[in-house]
Amino acid sequence: MPKTALKPFLKYVGRRFFFLILTYFVAITIIFILPRAIPGNPLSQLLSRIAVQGAANPETISNVQKSLMEEFGVGKPIIVQYLSFLGRLFRGDLGTSINFYPKKCLDVLAPFIPWTLFLLIPATLTAWIIGNTLGAVAGNKRGTWMDNLVLNTSLVISQIPYYWLGMLLIYTFSVKLGIFPTQGGYAQGLLPSFSFKFITSVLYHYVLPFLSIVIAAIGGWAIGTRLLVIYELDADYTIFAVNLGMRDRTVFKYVFRNILLPQITGLALNLGSALGGALITELIFNYPGTGYILFRALSTLDYPLIQAIFVILIVAIYFANFIVDFVYAIVDPRIRLGQGEGS
Amino acid sequence: MKDTLILSLENVRSYYAKGNYYVKAVDGVSFNIFKGEVVGIVGESGSGKSTLSNVMIMNIKKPLNFIEGKVILNVGANFLELNTLPRQELQKIIWGRETSIVPQSAMNALMPTKKIRDFISDLVKDHFERALNEEEIIERAKQRFTDVGLSPNDIYRYPFELSGGMRQRAVIAMATLLNPRLLICDEPTSALDVANQKLVLKTLEQLRKREIVESIVFITHDIATVRQIATRMVVMYAGKIVENSPVEDIIKDPLHPYSRGLLLSVVTPEPEIKKRGISFIPGTPPDLANPPIGCRFHPRCPYKMDICEKEEPPLKKVDTNREVACFLFNK
Amino acid sequence: MWKAMIRPLFKSPKFIVGMTIFLLIVLMAIFGPILYPKDPTSFAGMPEQPPSKEYPLGTDTYGGDLLAKVLNGTRSSLYVGFLVAIISMSIGLLVGIFSAMKGGIVDELLMSFTNIVLTIPSILLAILIASYLRIRSLEVIAVILGILSWPWFARAIRAQLMSLINREYVYLSRLAGYGDFRLAIEDLIPAIATYTFMAFILFINGGILGEAGLSLIGLGPTKGVTLGVVLQWAVLMEAVRRGLWWWFIPPGLVIVLLTSSLLIITTAMDEVFNPKLRER
Ligand SMILES: Nc1ncnc2c1ncn2[C@@H]1O[C@H](COP(=O)(O)OP(=O)(O)OP(=O)(O)O)[C@@H](O)[C@H]1O
Ligand SMILES: [Mg+2]
Repeated sequence: MPKTALKPFLKYVGRRFFFLILTYFVAITIIFILPRAIPGNPLSQLLSRIAVQGAANPETISNVQKSLMEEFGVGKPIIVQYLSFLGRLFRGDLGTSINFYPKKCLDVLAPFIPWTLFLLIPATLTAWIIGNTLGAVAGNKRGTWMDNLVLNTSLVISQIPYYWLGMLLIYTFSVKLGIFPTQGGYAQGLLPSFSFKFITSVLYHYVLPFLSIVIAAIGGWAIGTRLLVIYELDADYTIFAVNLGMRDRTVFKYVFRNILLPQITGLALNLGSALGGALITELIFNYPGTGYILFRALSTLDYPLIQAIFVILIVAIYFANFIVDFVYAIVDPRIRLGQGEGS
Repeated sequence: MKDTLILSLENVRSYYAKGNYYVKAVDGVSFNIFKGEVVGIVGESGSGKSTLSNVMIMNIKKPLNFIEGKVILNVGANFLELNTLPRQELQKIIWGRETSIVPQSAMNALMPTKKIRDFISDLVKDHFERALNEEEIIERAKQRFTDVGLSPNDIYRYPFELSGGMRQRAVIAMATLLNPRLLICDEPTSALDVANQKLVLKTLEQLRKREIVESIVFITHDIATVRQIATRMVVMYAGKIVENSPVEDIIKDPLHPYSRGLLLSVVTPEPEIKKRGISFIPGTPPDLANPPIGCRFHPRCPYKMDICEKEEPPLKKVDTNREVACFLFNK
Repeated sequence: MWKAMIRPLFKSPKFIVGMTIFLLIVLMAIFGPILYPKDPTSFAGMPEQPPSKEYPLGTDTYGGDLLAKVLNGTRSSLYVGFLVAIISMSIGLLVGIFSAMKGGIVDELLMSFTNIVLTIPSILLAILIASYLRIRSLEVIAVILGILSWPWFARAIRAQLMSLINREYVYLSRLAGYGDFRLAIEDLIPAIATYTFMAFILFINGGILGEAGLSLIGLGPTKGVTLGVVLQWAVLMEAVRRGLWWWFIPPGLVIVLLTSSLLIITTAMDEVFNPKLRER
C-alpha cells in the first residue's frame, strides 16, 4: 500500500474511534445519571437513609456504608459527583462492592469475564460463519427445496431465544439422555488449572451453552445473507459479468465477497444483543461468567457492582466494535481508498 | 442480400411468467442483423427492448420464458441455433466471445470491490482455462482502454475511482475485450451528460470501423442518437416490431403511424416535448399482460380501420429493404 | 387501492401460515382467560403435577395452574409487545420525518443522536434502567424497551423520505415511464406505509423477546404474569433439571410461535411487495 493510500484509511478509523469514544461517554453519563434521576429508586433511598443516620449518630454507620457514601458523593453538588465519578473511572476504579466488601468491583468481576468471552466470541463467530454460508447458498439456489428449507427453518430458529434453547438442550441431553452435564463451567470439586483433566471438563461443559448460542443465532444471519445474495445476484455488475460469459461459480464468489462486507458491520451492530442473550444463557447453565455474577448483583441490589459490570461490558462491546470497524476498513477497498464510506 | 448475416431472429416469443398469466414482452419478433450494420432499436419504455436484448443472446432467466422461435448466430465457421444450446455452453462459447451487452445502467456494472485488472483475469480464466496467455489479454485490455479514451493504467484501479463517464467507457472496453461479433448497447448514454454521450458514440463508431466488433445493436429512447449512429432503425411497440427501415428512409418518410408520431416528437422544436420523448402520442401504451386484439397500436392510431381491431398486421416487406407491420401498406 | 394491494398477500402460503398462527395465538390471548377463568396467581392445587384432566398444563411448585398462567401470560406479553411497538414506531416516525423535513443542522444533530442510541447496547441499558426501578408495571417495561429500540427505524424512514425530497425517486420513476410527480407520491406513500407496518410487527417481536429476557433475570414486571415471568419461575425452581417439562416448554413455545409467525408475515409481505423479491 503506497503511503498516500494510508490517509483515508486512518481518517476513517480515526472517525470511528472518535464516534465510539463519544458514544461511550454518553453511555457512562447515562450510567451516572440513572440512579440519581429515577424517582424512588432503592439506591438513593438507601443512601439518604445512611446519610440521615450518619448525621445523627456517626458511629453507627458501618464501613460498607462509609465507602458507599464516599463513592456516590452523598451530599456534594451533582457536578462534583460527576467529575469525581469520571475521575475514578479514568483511574480504573470501579468502586467497592457491597456484597463482597471490601473487595473492589473490578477484582470481583475479573475471574468471571474470561468465561463470558470464551463462550460468546467463538459461538458468535461460528454462528456468523455457518449462517452466512447457509444463507448465501440458499439465496444462490433461490426457489429450490434447499432454499425453502433454509429460509423456513431460519424463520423459526432465529426467533428462539438462546436461553430457552438452552433449557431444551439441558432437558434433552442432560436430564433425559444424560450425555452432557446439567450445569456449571467445569466439574464440581475441580480447581481451575491448566491440567488436562480440568480442560477436558471445561470443554465437556462448554458444548451445550455453546450450541444454544450458535444454533439460535444462525437463523438470523442466514435470513439476512440470503436476502443480500438475492439482491446482489440481481445487481447490475452481476448481470454484466454473466453476460460476459463469466461462470456462475465465479460470479457467486464475487457476490459472496460483496455481501460479507455489510455482514461484518452487522456483526458489530449485533454484538450488544448477542451479549445480552449470552448473559441470560449463562444464568440458565449456571455458567461461571458475567451473567452469573450480574444476576447475583441484581438480586442483592449490589449497585456499585451492577454499575461496574455495565461500564465494563459496554467498553468490551465498543472495543469489539472498533476491531470490526478496523477489519472492515482493511477489507473494503472503498474505505481503504477513501470513498463510499457513507452509511 | 449478399451481406454476411450475423444474427437472425425468427418469430421469437419470450414472456415473463407472472403468477398465472404472461407478460408478453417479446411477441413474435423477426429480424436480421448483417455485418457492418448499426441497428438502432427504439420504442417507449416497457416496449420490450431490454427483454429483446436478453433474448438475442438467449440469456433467459427465471421469470422470463422462451416460448418459441429461433435465435441464430453466425459464429464464423457456421450458424448456431442458440435457443437449442444449454446455458453452460452459451456461457462458455457465446457470451462475451461472440456477443456482449453493455447494460442499461453501465454506471454500476463493474464489480465494486475488485480492481478492473483482477476482474479481467478472472473472466479470461473462466473462458480459456489458462490456455491463453493472461499477459496478452492484459496488454489487449490496456490497448482497449486507450482506444476508448482512458489511460491504460486505469485497469489497475477500482471502479469507484473512475467517474461516471469513465466507467461507461470502461464497460465498453471490457465488453469488447474478447472481440465479440455482436455488441448490444442498452441505452448506454441515457445517464451521461452531452459531452460524455458524444464520446461514447464516437468510441462505438471507432470499434465498428476497426472491425473489432462486426455489428452493433443500439437500444435507446432517443431518436436523435439513433440518427447519429445507426444505419438501420427498428421500431418496437408493445413487444412487437412495427417498422424496420434504413435510417435515412425512415427519417424522411416514416411508414407506420407510430413511427410517424415518434419522429414528429424529434422534429418538434420545443425542448419540453422533446425531453418527454414520445409520451405526447395520445393514449398510453397497452398492458402487455393483456394486449389489445388485432394491431396493438389501434387504440391510439389516428388511421385506424375496421380490420385493425380484428387481425394482427404481419411485418411485411414494402420496399427492397423496408418492412412495416401495418394494414395501410398491405391489403 | 388497498384491496388490490392486499389481495396478492393471500396467495402467499407463508402469509397464510403466519397469519393463521398469529391470529390463533391472539384469539387464545383474548378469549383464553375468559373460557378458562382460573386465577393465574392463586395456589390452586397440588404442587408440580404433570398435565392432567384437571390441570391441562400441570401445576408449578406452588400449585399454580400453568394453563391459566400461560393464557394470561400470552395476553400480557402481547400487550407489552404492542405497547413497545407503538412507542418505538412513534419515536422513530417523529425523529425520521422531522430529520428529513428540517435537514441541515437539525438533521445532523438528530442523526448523531440516533446513531449514538443505536450503538449503545439497548438490552444492557434496559437491564440497568429496570434494576433501578423498584416497581415495574407492564407499561413501565414497555416504555423502557420502547425508548431504546427505535433508531434503525428512524434512519430507514429518513432515508426513504430523503429520496423523495431529493427527487431521486421521481427522476427514476420518470425514467421508468411515469410522467409525473403525483404517481411517484402515490407510489412512495404505500411503500412507506408497508415498510412502517412491517417495522411495527418487528417491534412487537422485539418487545415480546425483550420482556422475556428482562423477566428471566428477575427484572420483569413486578405485578402480573407474562410468559417471561412463567419462565423465570421455572428457572428459579430448577424446573429444567428436575424434569418438569410442562412448566418451561409451553411458555417458550408460545413465544417462539408468536414471534416467528410475525417474522413469517413480514417476510411474506416483503416477498409480495418488494419487486426485487417478487417470485415469477
Ligand atoms: N422481471 C420481470 N418480471 C415481470 N415482468 C417484467 C420483468 N422485466 C420486465 N418486465 C415487463 O416486460 C415488459 C418489457 O420490459 P423491458 O425491460 O424489456 O422494457 P424496455 O423497453 O427495455 O423499457 P425501458 O426503456 O424502460 O428500459 C414491461 O412491461 C415490463 O413490465
Ligand atoms: Mg430497458
